[in-house]
Amino acid sequence: MLRKTLSSIAFAVGLASAASVQAEDIEIGAVFPLSGPNATYGDIFMSGAELAAKHVNEDGMLSGDLKILYEDSQALPQQGVVAMNKLVNVEGVPYVLSAFTGVSKAISTLAQRSETVAVNGGGVGPDLAELGEYFWNVIPLANNEVGALARYAVEDLGHKRFTLVYVDDPLGESILNELEKTLPPLGAELVESHSIAASAQQFSGVAARVRSDNPDVVYVASYGSQQLQIVKQLRDNGVKAQIVSYSAFSVPELQTQEEAQGALFTTQSIEWDSEDPVTKRFVNDYEAEHDNSPTSYIANYYNAVRVFALLAQALEEQDKEITGANLLAQRKATGTFELVGGEVSFQENGTLLAPIQVLEVDGSGSGKVVSVKTAE
Amino acid sequence: MLFLQLLANGLQVGAIYALTAAGFSLIFGSTKIFHFAHGATFAIAAYLFHFALTGLGLHWTFAVAVSATSAVVFGVLLDRFMYAPIQRHEGSFFTVFVASFGIGIVVQNLLGSVFGRGFMSVPTPLSNSVEVIPGLYLSPLNGLAILCAIACFAALHFFLTRTFTGKGLRALSENPELVRTFGLSPRRLSTYAFALGSLLVVPGAIFTAAGTGINPAVGHHVMLISLAATIVGGIGSLRGAACAGLLIGVAENLAMWKLGTQWSEAITFAILFFFIIFKPSGFFGRATVS
Repeated sequence: MLRKTLSSIAFAVGLASAASVQAEDIEIGAVFPLSGPNATYGDIFMSGAELAAKHVNEDGMLSGDLKILYEDSQALPQQGVVAMNKLVNVEGVPYVLSAFTGVSKAISTLAQRSETVAVNGGGVGPDLAELGEYFWNVIPLANNEVGALARYAVEDLGHKRFTLVYVDDPLGESILNELEKTLPPLGAELVESHSIAASAQQFSGVAARVRSDNPDVVYVASYGSQQLQIVKQLRDNGVKAQIVSYSAFSVPELQTQEEAQGALFTTQSIEWDSEDPVTKRFVNDYEAEHDNSPTSYIANYYNAVRVFALLAQALEEQDKEITGANLLAQRKATGTFELVGGEVSFQENGTLLAPIQVLEVDGSGSGKVVSVKTAE
Repeated sequence: MLFLQLLANGLQVGAIYALTAAGFSLIFGSTKIFHFAHGATFAIAAYLFHFALTGLGLHWTFAVAVSATSAVVFGVLLDRFMYAPIQRHEGSFFTVFVASFGIGIVVQNLLGSVFGRGFMSVPTPLSNSVEVIPGLYLSPLNGLAILCAIACFAALHFFLTRTFTGKGLRALSENPELVRTFGLSPRRLSTYAFALGSLLVVPGAIFTAAGTGINPAVGHHVMLISLAATIVGGIGSLRGAACAGLLIGVAENLAMWKLGTQWSEAITFAILFFFIIFKPSGFFGRATVS
């Protein structure tokens, strides 16, 4: 009898201690492409998120260790919803990092319904700003990026004729809409737009069509391996027009691709040599760990995790539970955040507003800034 | 001129499709094994060519040899250690398909882990087009792909019609039991079919690595085209698969002459549906009564 009682007590103590060990970790989720043709983005996003978690834990900002649970979206909306379901309903995380326009839109409904904060740092479709108050963006969206690039290409370089090669998905459609809206007031025109399937890999025919459009500028709105294939095949097939794109061009493979040299792209403006302590620590530690310069995507996911840590820290100081609803309330109560790139604030719709920089691919790994435009 | 440009592009793409489709058709026609991992063979050949050339710094001829050897070894190993046991246990067509599909996914992830999951291409001036007449750009790779396809098909035709093993392979697709009476082993012939079928993807893999570039998922598209070409060409007909591959490549490109670029891929399936509905036996397939 005594043995039985002792065993029960030991079991109960064991359970309690196990529970207390588990409670020490503070978990957030991430729905990233970890396999498939866009997996390279998953690696990039993870490097930023992990560095932020490391800094948060080194600084002891939270009562426990911050841990990120990763689920694979393959950059596909269906897989993204499955991943989000697991993170929300099984793991019970209050905060999820998201990426890619299609995936972000797909998971936003579940985020809203379950009062889980979803934060996008990679997708740029303008409608990502309208996905409910539980969906935030730590990246300027395509309307800002397209506008800044169009102004630079038309006003500073004097280009008038644009052709668009865009992937047939929500991101591509949004870039098309933005170019159609942005170019005419600037006195330029979108002479042709060529839609391509997300799985397409052969673009010699598209290149022939682009050549026959005789454009000054070719806007490439794709991502992952496909955008590199497009750039290579455009150049291989005699397209000499200026190639431009959005922040998807900031991946290392494209930055060092021979055919992409001289291409222009946009990202939010970050002064990498800034003296502000958050940016300086981020840049120094990233370069030390990866032997490479950081890009805006890496900064975005660093910022996304840091925003969580700052909000969760504030909640813990007030003895409040770290839930999606409390994180949202705390974000609204917090005026500005010290993030990589400086002090920033969220707009009403949960999207960061930042100036946009136009960069030229120069083989350096992060591009050369050629212009900075205010977001409009 | 746009038409001529698209036709030239289509012939190059079609030549590559024709070779890969012929490889799949040879294996499927001879052994009745739905070798979905044919796309994985393509990816392995392309990646090892790239690795041998740029990673090891080998001369391109050695890189081709590495690529060809890896493709053949992979195909033969699959036949011996995966398909043969399944067939011995009288596994269904579906079992073979699932096993092959699984191998394709494993290979894709392995390639991603080993070589990285991003885009790769072989840097070569051969892929740069030059303006041969105003408005018509051709690259040396265009011509090489077409010449290589013609040479491969000539060699394949000779092998299948003039050699004892080649005739055996053709006989295997007709009647495996009868093959035994002539002292040939269906098992060994199956291995030859896999070796030869896998070898046929190598030129396409190399031209793709140099021309359009590769990523670990490159095999999916190849498999899709091979399957469509096999059906359009007539199941079991090598000539049919080759012609269908060429037709699909040319049609994909010519579709962009008058239609939007997004129709390029859809045209493959339009052709496939057309044949399924109006000519189910394909280009050169024989009509069957079940």
